[in-house]
Amino acid sequence: MKEELQHIKKEFEAQLKHVSSLLQLEELEQTIFGRKAGAFTNLAKQMKDVATEQKKAIGEMMNTVRLKIVKELEEKREALQREEMKKIAETESIDVTEPHLPKEAHGHMHPMSQVEIELSELFRSMGFMVLDGPELESDYFNFEALNIPPSHPARDSHDTFFIKDHPEWVMRTHTSPVQIRAMREFGAPLRAIVPGRVFRNESIDASHEHTFTQLEGLVVDKDISIADIIGVMKGLLSGILKKDVEVRLRPGFFPFVEPGFELDMRCLVCEGTGCNVCKQTGWVEMMPCGLVHPEVLKAGGLDPDVYSGFAFGLGRMRLVMQKYGIEDIRHFQSGDLRFLKQF
Amino acid sequence: MLVSKNWLSQFTTIPKKITPQQLGVDLTMHVVEVEDVIDEARFLENVVVGKVVEVKKHDNADTLHVCTVDVRDEKLQVVCGGSNVREGMFVAMGKLGASVRWHGEGEPIVLTKAKIRGVESFGMICASDEIGLGDMFPKQSEKEILDLTDIIASRYSDNPDQQIGKPLSDVLELNDIVFDIDNKSMTHRPDLWGQYGMAREIAAMYGQSLKAYEPKKLKGLETGNWKLDVAVKDVKACPRYMAVAIDGIEVAESPAWLKKRLMSVGVQPRNNVVDVTNFVMFELGQPLHAFDIKQLANKKGDVEIIVRKAKDGEEYTSLDDKKYTLTKEDLVIATKDKVVALAGVKGSNNSGVTNETTSILLESANFHAVTIRRTASRHGLRTDASARYEKSLDPHLCELALRRVVELLKEVSPKSVVSSTIVDQSDFSLDQGPIALDTEFVQRKMGVDLPATEMVRILTSLGFGVKEKKNTLSVTIPSWRATKDISIREDLVEEIARVYGYDNIVPTLPTFPIVPPKKNALRELETRLRTLLAYEGRYTEVSNYSFVSPDLLEKVGENVKDYLELDNPIAKDRPYLRRHLRENLLETVERNSHRFDVVSIFEIGKVFKKEQEGDVDGQKNTLPKQDTLLAMAHAEKGDEHPFLHVSTSFTTVMTRLGLAVHFEKKSLDDVFVHPGRFAEVHVAGKKVGHIGEVHPMTANTLGLDARTAVLEVNLSEIVLLLTEKTQYQPLSQYPSIERDVAFVVDKSAVHEDIAVALIKADPLTVDVALFDVFMGKNIGEGKKSMAYRITYRSDEKTLEGKDVDVVHEKIVAMLQKKFGAEIRA
Repeated sequence: MKEELQHIKKEFEAQLKHVSSLLQLEELEQTIFGRKAGAFTNLAKQMKDVATEQKKAIGEMMNTVRLKIVKELEEKREALQREEMKKIAETESIDVTEPHLPKEAHGHMHPMSQVEIELSELFRSMGFMVLDGPELESDYFNFEALNIPPSHPARDSHDTFFIKDHPEWVMRTHTSPVQIRAMREFGAPLRAIVPGRVFRNESIDASHEHTFTQLEGLVVDKDISIADIIGVMKGLLSGILKKDVEVRLRPGFFPFVEPGFELDMRCLVCEGTGCNVCKQTGWVEMMPCGLVHPEVLKAGGLDPDVYSGFAFGLGRMRLVMQKYGIEDIRHFQSGDLRFLKQF
Repeated sequence: MLVSKNWLSQFTTIPKKITPQQLGVDLTMHVVEVEDVIDEARFLENVVVGKVVEVKKHDNADTLHVCTVDVRDEKLQVVCGGSNVREGMFVAMGKLGASVRWHGEGEPIVLTKAKIRGVESFGMICASDEIGLGDMFPKQSEKEILDLTDIIASRYSDNPDQQIGKPLSDVLELNDIVFDIDNKSMTHRPDLWGQYGMAREIAAMYGQSLKAYEPKKLKGLETGNWKLDVAVKDVKACPRYMAVAIDGIEVAESPAWLKKRLMSVGVQPRNNVVDVTNFVMFELGQPLHAFDIKQLANKKGDVEIIVRKAKDGEEYTSLDDKKYTLTKEDLVIATKDKVVALAGVKGSNNSGVTNETTSILLESANFHAVTIRRTASRHGLRTDASARYEKSLDPHLCELALRRVVELLKEVSPKSVVSSTIVDQSDFSLDQGPIALDTEFVQRKMGVDLPATEMVRILTSLGFGVKEKKNTLSVTIPSWRATKDISIREDLVEEIARVYGYDNIVPTLPTFPIVPPKKNALRELETRLRTLLAYEGRYTEVSNYSFVSPDLLEKVGENVKDYLELDNPIAKDRPYLRRHLRENLLETVERNSHRFDVVSIFEIGKVFKKEQEGDVDGQKNTLPKQDTLLAMAHAEKGDEHPFLHVSTSFTTVMTRLGLAVHFEKKSLDDVFVHPGRFAEVHVAGKKVGHIGEVHPMTANTLGLDARTAVLEVNLSEIVLLLTEKTQYQPLSQYPSIERDVAFVVDKSAVHEDIAVALIKADPLTVDVALFDVFMGKNIGEGKKSMAYRITYRSDEKTLEGKDVDVVHEKIVAMLQKKFGAEIRA
């Protein structure tokens, strides 16, 4: 048996050298350990005929050989597997730039909505309510209560859409009427923004729309000062544009504030040295604002001797156009998916 | 409006250290917006006076000439395309090195030696707009070069040729700086519409003194005997009317200084009479008009002026011969038999000053701002005069202006004599205060501890009268600010703060209590829906106009009588206010369908319903109801069931919000919706809208080439159904077993009913999912095959196959009994 064992081992080692695939290795393993015809298996079956006193020695010898063969098989298997894995880089290679097919559709939120959500979040974090009001508004709220009586020249510049058979109604020309509605509903102190759709009877072209969006802001409290407007606006713009900004106030006239201002921001494109965006001035006009006119506070049911406040208006469309470099304001309401799918 | 630095300097001193650029910035920061600071000579470096001594045709170009231009030191050969070039002409010669702007546009280009069609050219004969003088010398035609011959001949009549070769800026004395002010930034400031008012601001800004505006007093009748009678029929529209006759007028060209002043602020000189009236308007802001008095006089030689409202339909012909039909709202200046001016706007061609005029009537009047503004806008006739009147001018200016214009007339037409008494019809009052101004109030509003002395200094420098008593200032308003501009203490805060300088105010932050802002549930719902529909539902958000066309409404069977209508629509074809989002949404689908095979879009927006009451209008009534709707539409080439795409996407999104959706099928006899593919949308048990496929006929008229479904629901109603509660099922510790069942039923069988029946059939059925629906010939006419996967699970034990078999058989039996299902193998 000893010789046979040596023979099996020799034969195995000789054949192992020729094995070059896992299949061949499998076959070789079968010739040794196959349950029916394996050489080693057959030999092991002869153990029962071995004399008792030799059993232990032979058994140990068989075991040593078996372990050695098993070990070599395993080593060979691992080596072959490593070899095989090297090949999948080639055999299972894919084009990583292909999309998953069939292609799935994607939805897109309107860029104006995206900005509105972002701004609303920012303002809410500063304690502002987000309000809304009717788009078809009364002449009273849109003009009169905002210190714009019927003969006021500011009415001319508002290019108002009127409603047939209802001279007492207009399509709101600004979001400012919500100032009065908010003061009446919530009283003071008050912090609110009003993002919304407004209408001006203007011919449309690349930079003019008859339907556009504004974002009105209102703060009413005791002792609000010009210094507060500058401080708050600076903070807000820094928040919106995510960088430190420099602002300045200069005189501006709007009937519902007194004093009224135009708020400029140091041009972010040229950092104030002058460029086409800021028309070489170093400053970009960002928003009209001012201390709420005492007549407006009164119309809102508040006592101007006790309360004061400030209001501002942000042209959201202009902001979005600046942000993305959109050249034509008409895209926003074109419904053109070629435009909308970019956002 | 243009403001001239030289003109301003007649009235105040601009400190030496202040550059023109700085003055521009300071005006913007303290007074009005300066859009541009223009150096008159900015394009005149290396531009000299040249004399064309020879003009020859260019051999290779019909429209070009080869000219020889004398510039004293040399004679230059220049190729010139000017249509008016001729020998002996004095021209603006741009030598090599000059910066010019081609056709007056774009960035300046430095002239270098050039070959033009084979001929060398040493510079350029310039057009006025190419050297920044376009406003001063407007071109009559496109290819016209600036002809200086007459200008030089009149200014240097003794020896024009001596000017050859001299810098053009010297010859024309172009040494002024002009500030271009944005008119929109001073609509509220009647006092700023002249150089003097601007000078007052500059004096206040820099703490300089302001020269008093004191033309010679009118002495009254000097000689002559014009009998003037002025009847002001509408005192409200004309609070003051001053007039005086002047004899001895010699209409001539104005002297150079006068023309230069006018040109510097963009006014073309006409003749000495018209020019002095314009001069005073641009200096003081008070419009004046000069009539040829002989055209006004009646047969007896008397002049009777009537200031009255026009009659409806009355004709008026302007100085420039344009006809206007007036209304009874317009104010006119008239004699007994004719309209001689549209008050405050423009004179008439029947009484203007001509070269033959020898006697004039000067009008210096004050008119009601709103009347003039409405007239100007009604007739589309805005003039320098109307622009000023509509700002509410100070009636006191009438007298100052009249004194000034007479003073100047005597200078430019020396034989002028006052030949009538001075008429002054006036009836006005101004509220000049005083306003009590608490200095502490000013400090609080500004957020600055400004000393009272500084407040007094600023107000005084602007012409306010100030009396100081303890901590209160008693402030009287100067007449030129009292017409509408200044009336309350907040107005005074603005005056003090702007002159002090907003830039000098240190920013502060108000202290706010930390309270979470009140929620706006509808806005939050909109935001969630936008996010879910776009990023989960894969619909793209669009934003359509609120206006809709009758044509479109008719196509979908809407009655325009139900609609609110704009009185003055910009798009004449879209006058109606939408009651639905769906019409415009479908139009958007159609527009995109030419480019995209799949169009899945949604919109959230307001609609207008006149028959329902909405928000209060602030005057005890209500506005039309304006609910916020959501509309979704889907169209896909080859998709036979866009309805299901929309309904499923909507259900998914509502499920996210914790809201159950049910589609209640309705059969509708309607042109808009498909009769077999329409349902009411119920959310949390309440009807909130509808969903349907567009009727094939309507789809056709709308140009929709794929089946299109549209859903519309009312978010203002859905928001009321939202609850915070969400449900949670504890995870089971026992495994579940799935079984499929496929069967054939009548086409009319409803999935929702079957699903509900399956889930209710036994406590062990925990989930039911439809995974296949099929119709076809082998199924049978009017039948459909459905396949469900049912999930069985017990909360008490691990189910074994035989447990499930029992239940499954029971369920199959139920399907057969209740729905007539034929079970498929």
